[in-house]
Amino acid sequence: MSKSINSMSKLKSVLRLIFREIGYFFKGAAGNLFTWEFITILIPLLALWELLPRLGVVNDRLVPPLSEVAVTFWVMVTQRGFLSDIGNSMVKFFLGLGLAIIAAIPIGLLMGWNISIRKRVLPLFQMLSPIPPPAWVPITIILFGVGLPMQTFLIFLAAFYPILFNTYQAVKDTDPRYLASARIFGASELTLILRVYFWHSIGAIIMSVKTGIAMGLVMLVIAEMYGGRTGIGYILNEAKDYFRISQMVVCMATLGMIGWFLIEVLKFVEIKLAVWKVGR
Amino acid sequence: MIEARNVSKFFSIINEDRTADGVTAVLSVSLTIEDGKIISLLGPSGCGKSTFLEILGGLQAPTEGSVFIDGVQVLEPLPSTRKEMEVYRRKYKLLSPLANSMFKNRPKHDIAMIFQDYAVFPWMTVLQNVMFALKLRGIPRKEREGKALVYLRKVGLTDSLRKYPSQLSGGMRQRLALARALSVEPRIILMDEPFAAVDVLTREHLQDDLLRLWDETGVTIVMVTHDTDEALYLSDEIVVFSPNPGCIRNRFAVNTERPRRRSDPELLDLKSRINSLFKYDSIHESWYSI
Repeated sequence: MSKSINSMSKLKSVLRLIFREIGYFFKGAAGNLFTWEFITILIPLLALWELLPRLGVVNDRLVPPLSEVAVTFWVMVTQRGFLSDIGNSMVKFFLGLGLAIIAAIPIGLLMGWNISIRKRVLPLFQMLSPIPPPAWVPITIILFGVGLPMQTFLIFLAAFYPILFNTYQAVKDTDPRYLASARIFGASELTLILRVYFWHSIGAIIMSVKTGIAMGLVMLVIAEMYGGRTGIGYILNEAKDYFRISQMVVCMATLGMIGWFLIEVLKFVEIKLAVWKVGR
Repeated sequence: MIEARNVSKFFSIINEDRTADGVTAVLSVSLTIEDGKIISLLGPSGCGKSTFLEILGGLQAPTEGSVFIDGVQVLEPLPSTRKEMEVYRRKYKLLSPLANSMFKNRPKHDIAMIFQDYAVFPWMTVLQNVMFALKLRGIPRKEREGKALVYLRKVGLTDSLRKYPSQLSGGMRQRLALARALSVEPRIILMDEPFAAVDVLTREHLQDDLLRLWDETGVTIVMVTHDTDEALYLSDEIVVFSPNPGCIRNRFAVNTERPRRRSDPELLDLKSRINSLFKYDSIHESWYSI
């Protein structure tokens, strides 16, 4: 009896902690964006966006005013199931990005750790990485067909190389002093990789994931434009065909918001993981 | 007991005008260090004393000669013939000669090392730093925290257990490095200019701390320094290195009873004898021994 109460209160305190952290996150993220200094710029800009088409200074068929875009967004959400499209895109995006992170960070660590592995593996990646990810679109469509695997693979490809190379570079540049002092205490190579190389390059790794997010979003739009019948990129492309400019604007703004949100998430992760760097 | 037999270290370097050159960092140094003593390796910069210390600790392989700690060779010397080279390459294909093992934390020798710029891990708190060293030495999880606290108390860092090294002053960081080195209870501590980066007052304080801890633990200390006063105040024996090539110039036993006074006439006399061994060549901007 008391045990279950105990575990309940434990669960409650964990939940409270999670909610508090989420609260901190949104406070910090919104705080980065909506400072008073920036709001004094933002509000006039939004007002101009609303007023210029309304007053006829610019053609309102080419530049839909803010309110129309907002209405379009609402209509898309309620009538077209825009939220499920966003969710659809995000599933692909996170699959691709997750695979890239899972693959690139260990390979980067191994390459930075050992010269003999580096010599065998690095030239391959150096040969493949200059191929721009969009150039992979035709062959992936043939290999995987149109759909989730192909889109995931393309996003993976876009995010993989920046994470790999940055991780590898940072790991390779690990201060030999730290390695020496850990080895003198008796660290095995595995311990060195997990506790020294990795943490020494954590800042660069997080930075590289940010680059990976940016590249992955680019590839998400391209992949959805070329293959598939769902997702934000598809709607964007479709809007072009029917000349629905306000829908395009909604899609663009959504993509921008997603990118901004993910970068903020990573900043939060960085603060949590690299506390020791913040004090400097 | 540390025994260095005819240790030499040669480097090849590339000059600014893209010609190659050979440098003799250490030439044929033989040295025996008894247990429980404090030995200072003293000399002007560039005399190979730090390289020699790293060879003692197994962080660099000697080109010739060998180092034994309690009869066990520290690192095998580098290959000199082509045939040896092939064997060496094959043996150390994946793991470098410096590595301990792939998966098991196990030190090769019972030594700890302290560096000039501390080399405490900035991503771990004070407590984690010490506990990590204990973990590497295979101390069971339960005992680690208690043991770490004991040694952190000895250096007076119990108030900053949860701080990161970047939040500490230079002197406190060096105390942390000292606590980390002592916590694994090594037989030998190697120190590479340990107090060179802190101010004079802190340095004297740290020296007193070091002597106190040495007295408590009876550890052997081999210390590289370019500060004659520090060497005189701390050590039982001063080994003077001379540059170009780095080799032992002279050895002085310091027999003054501890606790010593820094202004002891005996020490000052020895100091002038040591300092008179070197002259500064202002044309070549380097030290040479007489």
